[in-house]
Amino acid sequence: MNLPTPPSLPPAARTAAALALGLGLAASAAFAQAPAGQTMRIQINSDIRSTDPGGNRDDNTDNVLIHVVEGLVALREDTSVGPMLASKVDTSADGLTYTFTLRDGVKFQNGAVLTADDVVWSWQRYLKPTSGWRCLPEFDGKGMTKVLAVEAPTPKTVVFKIERPSALFLTMMARPDCGGAAILHRSSLGADGQWKEPVGTGPYKIKEWKRGQYIELTRFDGYTSRPEARDGLTGGKKAEIENLRFVVIPDSAAAKAALYSGGIDAFISPSPADVVEMRGRSDVRVDTTPVMTMVALLLQTTDPLLKDVRIRRALALSLDTPEIAKSVTEGLSAVNNSVVPSSSPFYSPVQAGGYKRDIAGAKKLLAEAGYRGQPIKLVANKRYEALYSAAVLVQAMASEAGINIELEVLDWATQLDRYTKGQYQSMAFIYSARIDPSLNYEMVSGDKATQPRKVWDNAAAQTRLTESMVSRDKARRQVLFDELHKQMLQDVPMVVLFNASDATAMRKSVTGFKGWAPAKPRFWNVRLDARG
Amino acid sequence: MLAYLLRRIAMTVPTLLLVSIAVFTLMRLIPGDPVQLMLGEGADPAQLELARQQMGLDQPLVTQYVVWLRHALTGDLGVSTTNGLAVLPLIWERFHVSAVIVLTAVALASLIAVPAGLVAAWRKDRPTDLAIIGAATLMLSVPSFWLGLLLLMFFGQYLHWLPVVGYVPMSEDFSQGLMYVILPIVTLVLVETGVLTRMSRASTIEVLRLEYVTHARAKGVPESQVLRRHVLPNAFNPTLTMIGLILGHLLSGIAVLETVFTLPGLGRLMIDSIFARDYPVLQGCLLFTACIYVVINLIVDMCYPLFDPRVSVQ
Amino acid sequence: MKKLKTHTLVGGVLIGVLLVLALVAALWTPYNPLGIDLRGKLQPPSAAHWLGTDEFGRDVASRAMRAASTSCLIALLTVALATAVGLVVGVLAGFVRGWTDRVLMAFNDTLLAFPGLLLALGVMVIVGANQWGIVLALSMAYAPSVVRVVRGTVLSLREREYVEASRMIGNGEIYTMWRHILPNCVAPVAVLATSMFGWVLLSESALSFLGLGVPPPAPTWGNMLSSARPYMASAVWLCLVPGLCIALTLLGINLLGESLRDRLDPRTEKS
Repeated sequence: MNLPTPPSLPPAARTAAALALGLGLAASAAFAQAPAGQTMRIQINSDIRSTDPGGNRDDNTDNVLIHVVEGLVALREDTSVGPMLASKVDTSADGLTYTFTLRDGVKFQNGAVLTADDVVWSWQRYLKPTSGWRCLPEFDGKGMTKVLAVEAPTPKTVVFKIERPSALFLTMMARPDCGGAAILHRSSLGADGQWKEPVGTGPYKIKEWKRGQYIELTRFDGYTSRPEARDGLTGGKKAEIENLRFVVIPDSAAAKAALYSGGIDAFISPSPADVVEMRGRSDVRVDTTPVMTMVALLLQTTDPLLKDVRIRRALALSLDTPEIAKSVTEGLSAVNNSVVPSSSPFYSPVQAGGYKRDIAGAKKLLAEAGYRGQPIKLVANKRYEALYSAAVLVQAMASEAGINIELEVLDWATQLDRYTKGQYQSMAFIYSARIDPSLNYEMVSGDKATQPRKVWDNAAAQTRLTESMVSRDKARRQVLFDELHKQMLQDVPMVVLFNASDATAMRKSVTGFKGWAPAKPRFWNVRLDARG
Repeated sequence: MLAYLLRRIAMTVPTLLLVSIAVFTLMRLIPGDPVQLMLGEGADPAQLELARQQMGLDQPLVTQYVVWLRHALTGDLGVSTTNGLAVLPLIWERFHVSAVIVLTAVALASLIAVPAGLVAAWRKDRPTDLAIIGAATLMLSVPSFWLGLLLLMFFGQYLHWLPVVGYVPMSEDFSQGLMYVILPIVTLVLVETGVLTRMSRASTIEVLRLEYVTHARAKGVPESQVLRRHVLPNAFNPTLTMIGLILGHLLSGIAVLETVFTLPGLGRLMIDSIFARDYPVLQGCLLFTACIYVVINLIVDMCYPLFDPRVSVQ
Repeated sequence: MKKLKTHTLVGGVLIGVLLVLALVAALWTPYNPLGIDLRGKLQPPSAAHWLGTDEFGRDVASRAMRAASTSCLIALLTVALATAVGLVVGVLAGFVRGWTDRVLMAFNDTLLAFPGLLLALGVMVIVGANQWGIVLALSMAYAPSVVRVVRGTVLSLREREYVEASRMIGNGEIYTMWRHILPNCVAPVAVLATSMFGWVLLSESALSFLGLGVPPPAPTWGNMLSSARPYMASAVWLCLVPGLCIALTLLGINLLGESLRDRLDPRTEKS
């Protein structure tokens, strides 16, 4: 580093000045400065689980790996499915054969060119019964359909033959939590057949993973981008920033402080209170997007007290759900009483209909049902602040109609256990995003005898749901979803409160970032301007 | 000497075994499924089963325990269910973080407390004593996590002198690493000095009353020599015991401070593993902590003869 | 002794105030400690709310008072339970000796080595996430210390002449234990109990701070402090009030405990 020194100073003083300047710079570098050579530091709240897409993973793992690997199809910005590594997809009339034509000249991170053989190899690995691939149950006959064959008739075409037609075949393929069914080169495995590291086709590759501290990705120079503009997880991708370092900072108070001091450039998912605070500052910027995670109040319809639909209705009527949504999310999210997320293309005016607070009506229903003030336990936890806040508000609001709710705050593991076994009267719960309304309804409805975690056990609803998963007619599916919503409003197995809004806080030097509904932050097409 | 050491270690083995069995059983009785936690609420039951089989969680309890014990005896404490890291290296790494802070703090606290207690006892009931004992009582009444929070607020947020964020190991970058541990160490020193000062003062008072001290004085031995040769060695013993107790207790009990200062230490590891139902890590932590306790007690016992030649290693 | 009087006075005042507040709060607080007022949240101390409001608009002063009740109740019950159990077990072990002693002490040491957090979580999950769970868990954590102290005292007592004499004239073991041993254990146990009150209070606060204590929305000083962390910069009073309460209470206990020790401990010099 060239330190400017006035030529008139004697040599000793010059050295002293240089030293002082150097020390001063070093001291400020201790907390604030980013290392040279464009590295963007992004906070994640826990270390990634593994580098195997769709294997041992969680949200943070997915968020990192979407930069490294790509699949045949991927989610578009509006959450529909579009081609990614494929240039086009043809479906047979009976819906049992899918033909993917691959793009030309796509390179893997080890320099090899993508061919149909690689697709077949990747899929055979996923479909092995012991693969542990998260989406395997959907493709092996237990769930949506069964993949009978994956063939490569030419080096540029791949043909999938499936047993049952499904509206969700391509959607499942594009699921980010299954690694987007990423196509990998066989050198991702070592000579012994064990996982080594992902050799994918994405704009970044893994440079260094320091367990428990950070994982750093670096630009893949041979990346072949699609020609169009950025579009969800497909579309054009340009790695403007050379290195992406995902730093593990579990404590959100610490992450916030690091963002303020310049220790990190992006802070994923600050709390609503933090967002309000950050909006008042000039050195950071917050991008908020409605996402598809759902916060709801679950009611156990087999409970001796709550099996009376009048009591459930009364509870729904006693709540001011728009106020709950506004208060818990600091105004970032609006109310949504439908299982279908508000950011979904299927969110129609019918879906926007919900409950209106009516204390008098609630009291009348309670009197009819003969409710005498018996306590109703509401399970919540403190790990997800939104759930806890919502539960506190529900208790306060319901008491105005005379409903006696007792909060039972558990640790998350215990609550998850109770949820899975259906052992609760009521519970404040948060569902992770599903990218299709069928999947949203599927996560809450089913046969309680075999799947105690399901909230809504209703035969008519089940029939409609199954049809929506098979029919590929958009208009028909919309009708089915509308009918399901109306039925749920009548049945009240749960009260959906709102869809979360995801926020990403960044320093002002970060430009080009845009959040989107599936809440998977993308750092391609993002620039890091030089610091002042 | 060796025989004595081995005998002492052997005596703790039954306790260690009992504790590990108790923890093992308790963890599995508490509701909460580590596999469910890992895979999330949308996971398929078939996949949950597969994951359980891969982790050996579908075996009967006794089998699981025996398998774990067998591995533990060879030094293999398994892998964490949350991040797949080997347990023993993970514990060791986290232990470094806690140990640096605890050892430094206890050392500093002892250096301050022992002389302070001595002086207070020497000048018993005079203003010096009252000042010292008052300060000590105040210090040990302040909860450590509150004190830590206040210091963090003042030096970190208000003055911006020290970082509010995580941690950098000093082995990597000494000066930066130092910045992160100053506040936790200071907090601990402030709290523990109070306890140790009181202990030191109390035991010094005891000794001062003893006959051989009055005897030495009567013989005309100068005060400083009386203090050094007769009082200090004997007064120090109970304080030494206390130091040992504190060390052992702190090394695992520092969890609250690690939470306040977001340090990746052993206490936090234990708490996180409880919440995540990460059985291998939790059991490893407990075994490790129990062993540390044993080692510290052993060292403390070894130290007694150093200070008081009348005490033999027995 | 001048020192003794000051200690007792200050300690007494602090604890006296605490007990009064705790008793009052059990029946009445200025505002409902659970009463939510979203429009009035995060208000600094004012005439209406002497100690301000928290993130749900609840009155901090009322919550601190209610927390005093809760914490005191938990601490008292824990100390009572731990002392009772500790006395019984300690006397049994020390007096009867032999295999009874060995087995009891093995269990005792196991409990001592058990991490408090795990114990707390385990007990609370089984008993329920409420005050009784905490009392049970903390009693189990502290009883071993009482056992140790009692057993030590009993061991030295049983060699005394009057014990021998009691046996010789044909009194049953239990009668001897009751009449001669137990009363002499009272002093050391009383001293321990006062210290224990402070430890339990601190433990309960620490557990609440970590998320394992009395579950919200019921206030304890520990969970109030824990909830205050995100508001360190914006609502300082939320951090100051609960911590100050804990510190002042502990100070009072320590001061009182010291004067008690000075009175009861026969080894302390009385000049």
